[in-house]
Amino acid sequence: MLTIAVSKGRIYEEALPLLEEAGIRPVDDPKTSRKLILQTTRDDVQLVIIRATDVPTFVEYGAADMGIAGKDVLLEHGAESLYEPLDLNIATCRLMTAAHKDAPDITRRVRVATKYVKTAKKYFAELGIQADIIKLYGSMELAPLVGLADCIVDLVDTGNTLKANGLEPRDLIMNISSRLVVNKAAMKMKHHAIQSLIDQFEKTLAKR
Amino acid sequence: MQQKNTWLLPDGIEEVLPAEAKHLENLRRKLLDVFSCWGYSLVITPMIDYLDSLLTGSGHDLDLQTFKLTDQLSGEMLGIRADMTPQVARIDAHNLNNCAPARLCYVGTVLHTLGDPLEKTRSPMQIGAELYGHEGRESDVEVISLMLEMLAMSGLKNVHLDLGHVGIYRALSEQAELTDADEAALFDALQRKARPEIRELIEGLALDEQLKTMLLRLPELNGGYETLEQARVVFADAGDAVKRALADLQAIADQLAAAFPDLPLSFDLAELRGYRYHTGVVFAAFVPSVGREIARGGRYDNIGEVFGRARPATGFSADLKLLSVLSKDIIPLERPEIIFAPATDNRELAEKIRDLRAEGRTVIRELPGQTGNYKELGYTSILEKKNTDWVVKAIA
Repeated sequence: MLTIAVSKGRIYEEALPLLEEAGIRPVDDPKTSRKLILQTTRDDVQLVIIRATDVPTFVEYGAADMGIAGKDVLLEHGAESLYEPLDLNIATCRLMTAAHKDAPDITRRVRVATKYVKTAKKYFAELGIQADIIKLYGSMELAPLVGLADCIVDLVDTGNTLKANGLEPRDLIMNISSRLVVNKAAMKMKHHAIQSLIDQFEKTLAKR
Repeated sequence: MQQKNTWLLPDGIEEVLPAEAKHLENLRRKLLDVFSCWGYSLVITPMIDYLDSLLTGSGHDLDLQTFKLTDQLSGEMLGIRADMTPQVARIDAHNLNNCAPARLCYVGTVLHTLGDPLEKTRSPMQIGAELYGHEGRESDVEVISLMLEMLAMSGLKNVHLDLGHVGIYRALSEQAELTDADEAALFDALQRKARPEIRELIEGLALDEQLKTMLLRLPELNGGYETLEQARVVFADAGDAVKRALADLQAIADQLAAAFPDLPLSFDLAELRGYRYHTGVVFAAFVPSVGREIARGGRYDNIGEVFGRARPATGFSADLKLLSVLSKDIIPLERPEIIFAPATDNRELAEKIRDLRAEGRTVIRELPGQTGNYKELGYTSILEKKNTDWVVKAIA
């Protein structure tokens, strides 16, 4: 039995066609079902639906053999105990800094509001800027407006939320897409099953 | 600050309670007996040591993992051992002035500052065996066989063995003459088998096409026996070091397959665990219920050089606490005999108790006015006076 961890929402929606090509169709729809384990049309594959930030944890421990997780989550989690063999090129967006549109450029010590604490710290350190990081769990855009931070580090898709709040995107930290991650022990012990799934995904991706 | 919860343990530090401790100790003795039967002599290494000796050849990872303190006597930095292997290597290099092969084993608690990201413990009980003084494949096969024997004696079934060889990546990266930064980035990506990142990195480097292809294919070279076939094709034009590594792997795999026909074997040529100090074949054992390896090892020639003597070396280690937990459900503890003796002050009784204990049987003497009777306490027998003799009577 192969267990694949997927997070609800955009990643799930965009992963469905990929899974479908590999003959994996969930029997229940997570939107309407409250089940956390979804059986699929393949007897040997089940999906677990979890929070995006928990995907690396589940896969690391082998609670799931594979998972689909955003590069943002993997960077923040520290993914050296996982394999990430494929860029699935889904749920793409950009990890960016953003600030009030009238705010000056950042040149010295800065206060940053973000949920990507490690990534932000590393990014500013590489620029030679000392950053005080304020960890927030949501509504990052609010922080510069109420004087909590000078800028934010967050995912930007369309940029509409930023605009609506008088902010503007500044620097691109990196392009984000979802990766296939695999538990190290599973990769060795269930090699055949996992490798054939990877090959199948790769074939599908090549056609796109 | 006064700590309120004085019962609370530091993160990742655990105590082992009677039932588990008994099981763990039984297993420890059994495994040391196995090592002894294979000719591996026990050594006991110091808990605390000079930091420089502890970190020999191991690089940055172990430095982070080591608790450090200053020796008030000398002002030197000391560390609490986070890995016993360098200490054992020092014993071989410095204390055993013998050119013949040396076989050493060890067991003891090590401390880690960070702990294992998965197991959470910061105080594993490291158990392992090392073979010094032989360069060939046979010594690798011997330590791998001993590791498998250790796992079998722990009652673990469905053990899976993964083989790799750090010499392949080492030769390719030397040939590529990468800068330190590029090498670090490539190493990091390879450990994660992050093929998109590897491709991006390699395509940005000024390398000849042949070498690029070999580096690109490296993370794909994992799986069953067919991996070695594929590797021979991919590395057809590689240097001698790579070919030697492949030949080593093939020979070791063949010998293991002959000795353990039911053992599932896999290969991973991009497996770089312990890359900084390993020099040859690396191996790891897995079981289905655990998301990481439960025992691992490999060849690390010449680590003893800084201690005065360069010697070939190969060995493995595991966490005895983890083995004990995994085997606890498999090896049932038989309910041990415990004889309860009354508090009566009597010379014949005292002699009887002495005799029973001399036979190795467990006798617990009642303490006057104690709470809990023998039934509640789970004792299996009592000592009763029958006529003039004290006899052991089982409790129904």
